[in-house]
Amino acid sequence: MESLEQYLEAVGRHLRGARRDDIVAELRANLEAQLDDKQAELGRLLTAKEMEDWLKQLGAPLQMAARYQAQRYLIGPEMFPIYWLVMERALGWAAMIYAIVSLVLLATGTPNAQAVVDALVRLPGVLLWVAAWVTLIFALIEYGSARDPQKWQGLAEHAASLPKIDLAQRERARRHGKHKRTFAHAVAEAVFGFLFLVWLLLIPQNPWLMMGPGAALWKASPYALAPAWITFYWWVVAAHAVQLAWLCVELARGTWQKKHGLRHAAVKAIELIPLNVLLYAPGRALLVLRNPLRDGAQLGATLSGWNEGLHKAILVIAVLVAAQIVWTLVNQVWMRGRDGAQ
Amino acid sequence: MYLTAYTVCHTVCFVQYEETMTLTENLFENLRLELRRGCLTLAVLLQLREEHYGYTLRKALAARGMEIDENTLYPLLRRLEAQGLLTSEWREEDKRNKRFYRLSAEGAPVLELLLAEWQSLNTAIETIRQQGKGE
Repeated sequence: MESLEQYLEAVGRHLRGARRDDIVAELRANLEAQLDDKQAELGRLLTAKEMEDWLKQLGAPLQMAARYQAQRYLIGPEMFPIYWLVMERALGWAAMIYAIVSLVLLATGTPNAQAVVDALVRLPGVLLWVAAWVTLIFALIEYGSARDPQKWQGLAEHAASLPKIDLAQRERARRHGKHKRTFAHAVAEAVFGFLFLVWLLLIPQNPWLMMGPGAALWKASPYALAPAWITFYWWVVAAHAVQLAWLCVELARGTWQKKHGLRHAAVKAIELIPLNVLLYAPGRALLVLRNPLRDGAQLGATLSGWNEGLHKAILVIAVLVAAQIVWTLVNQVWMRGRDGAQ
Repeated sequence: MYLTAYTVCHTVCFVQYEETMTLTENLFENLRLELRRGCLTLAVLLQLREEHYGYTLRKALAARGMEIDENTLYPLLRRLEAQGLLTSEWREEDKRNKRFYRLSAEGAPVLELLLAEWQSLNTAIETIRQQGKGE
């Protein structure tokens, strides 16, 4: 009886949540009844050896407890092909980006054998990180789909349940850019969006990530970026983080298939904010001199020309973005009107 | 200490047992388990048209030729209950508290559908088998 108690206690240790005591109590009742039967049949108590054999037959406590768990895998068979596809692509891209970055670093630094070896040694770590993030994202999706399968039905679509192809409709969708986003596409957007955000956040400390070898030249030049660029940078980071969060919410809610025109317009509108920061920079100064006292007389006129040119370029970009927003909104209103008429 | 030794011992014994099986036996065992998995649910639902607690259900099924391990049957009962196919209640019997299960009102039509599916599968397999014999 003592070893049965030990066995039940061990099973209980491997169980989680409020059901633990209930499961152990039920298991105790069943096993005790079984033990009574065995002993009644033999006409005596089981010996220690017989008891041990019987408990072995029941399976290890961990195995017994695991059978009571609803989900025993991180990524299920339905999700696995998509996970694998995204993993392959993410690892491929990560390896390529890492190779480019490493080559730039080697080219701008002092190339030597040790630097090459260091870069190669770091590669598995980088790939492991990417794999871990992709796995984490999919594990969360799997967890969400297990809790609310209705929202994730799109994943289980198979050939028989796919909608019939309407070529005319497809052509219309192509013309209006109204494609249905696939799950793999949405997840890839989230993964690459996350990598892009990391890249953005690394730029202030590592300007070469954006400028490449030009970063060294820029550092040596007499010009520097005006403080407005710092505000601009944080707005860009915030805008991207908002987009990424939005996409994650869509994935969590299972609404990734919808590609909202209005959302597109809203995202574009957010992009206008950092552009405005630059447009309304004090004195239209986007570039400043690192040492105005020393270089002011010589480079002042050139600097004004640069600032004027940059201001005009940003104004053109802002107008184009605003036109895109208007176009998207008009398109939405027109399509809704047409859908309503049909 | 005892539990660690027990778990290691069990794992080693299990692995050794697995290793002594031939490839064909192993393959057959996997296929057999796969084949049985769905049948077990059907058998349990059928048997639970009468009320049982875990152990008596296991005995009743074994008496009718359907042996099920404890670590398969007891968790299965929980899952079927969570799916709404069974109802359960704790009750005292022979001075012990036991959890009694029974087919639920929602489970009854599902059982009928499963039975129909089972019969249709049986017929199909038999037809295919007979066809193979005739050729």
